[in-house]
Amino acid sequence: MNEIMAILPATIRSILTALPSAVREHLEEIRLRQNQPLEIRFGQQTSYVTATGQLTANARQGWSFTEEQSVKLLNLVSQHSLYTLEEELKRGYITVTGGHRIGIAGKVVLERGEVKGIRDVTSFNIRIAREKKGTAQKVLPYLFDNGRILNALIISPPQCGKTTLLRDIARSISYGSEWSSSRKVGIVDERSELAGCLNGVPQRDVGPRTDVLDACPKAAGMMMLIRSMSPDVLIVDEVGRPEDGEAVWEAIHAGVSVICSAHGSEIDEVARRPALGKLIQSGVFSRYFVLDRSKGVGTIHGIYDRDLRPVKKGEVTWSS
Amino acid sequence: MVKLIGAVLILFSASMVGWQIGRFYAYRPVQLRALLVGLQMLETEIVYGLTPLQQALLKVGNRLPAEVGQLFQAAAGSLREERAQNADEALRLAIESHWQQTSLRKQERDVLTSLGQVLGSSDREDQQKHLRLAVTHLRGLEEEARAEQSRYEKMYKSLGFLCGLLVVILMF
Repeated sequence: MNEIMAILPATIRSILTALPSAVREHLEEIRLRQNQPLEIRFGQQTSYVTATGQLTANARQGWSFTEEQSVKLLNLVSQHSLYTLEEELKRGYITVTGGHRIGIAGKVVLERGEVKGIRDVTSFNIRIAREKKGTAQKVLPYLFDNGRILNALIISPPQCGKTTLLRDIARSISYGSEWSSSRKVGIVDERSELAGCLNGVPQRDVGPRTDVLDACPKAAGMMMLIRSMSPDVLIVDEVGRPEDGEAVWEAIHAGVSVICSAHGSEIDEVARRPALGKLIQSGVFSRYFVLDRSKGVGTIHGIYDRDLRPVKKGEVTWSS
Repeated sequence: MVKLIGAVLILFSASMVGWQIGRFYAYRPVQLRALLVGLQMLETEIVYGLTPLQQALLKVGNRLPAEVGQLFQAAAGSLREERAQNADEALRLAIESHWQQTSLRKQERDVLTSLGQVLGSSDREDQQKHLRLAVTHLRGLEEEARAEQSRYEKMYKSLGFLCGLLVVILMF
């Protein structure tokens, strides 16, 4: 939270500090839209915030985020150096110290039909990354087969704890657990979310035997790690593009286990996506973990095996 | 005897004044060159090194001669300590507090302030364009400064001495 405070303009900082501490501790998102009231999301609720840090449902009472503030915020986030964020502006989000992510929207600039960046940034979505250790405990028993790590796919809609789970799996495998001894883990962290690297150093605990390739495109990164770091298992977030699918395919046939995640709410839905569908049909993954937030963030809705049969009925939650 | 000492003193101080003015013309091209080199280093840091502005300014400032270098260092400092809200303000503050110590003129100051308005606030290509533009401007000014130096430096130095001499002659 302090890392986030440091990059906020003083006005917003003071409003957020004035929030009730119960709200502040559970803050998940801070949404800022130009000329619109400041909105926060904490737990399952959303609310506007007034200039004095009171919660309100009335949009008109909310503190309005001005153009001046948005310029200031962008200045602070970029450390007054927008040119360092070229790649981030192209992708639409910026990762800051501590692995928090700031999504941005505004006027998109095109170059030869491709997105070159975002100019006039008007919307910010500050997502506060929270580290939750022990979330992998519920899935670890299903992740090993005679000490071998099974290839697994975590399917989850946004905001359901997919990345948190993936990170905890990486950490558990790296440290070792009651189900398996410690292994070498390779993380390709294209969006700097899993390990939250700053200058290449993981800001989150991803375990002692973990190598992180930060901000590297997944497909290229997986191949690089296999060649250079000989990991036992590769951990990748948000696989989706065709080249990612191919890289997963390659990795698995190079004898490396792969645990990855994808956006979606059902296996059937994910199976219809071109890149993943092929992998699922050919039975590459031996375990599927489907998450939702029916019982809070990180409800494990179902665990399925290679043939998409449920391994375990019922729901297991690890949310506190 | 007293008269002689007075004459020597007058001659000496007049030459010193002339020499001081002349020195101003001698320093300007040197500092202009340093500023120019500084901006080129900044370009490298920004365009190829992708160094955040504050570190880039500090790095460049440390490598330049003190008079010009402190401009960059001061700008980096006010960014770090959040005394300035943006690069423009930081550069302005730095210029305000350190410009007097340089032999640079208003034209150079204008080049720097207009550069400050865009510094750090656009993509690499744009930054490069603006930095190059500033460097071109400074180059023009440097040539001018050198021409002035060759014209005026010696002139002021000898003028000082000659003025002193004139006073001495009139006194006798």
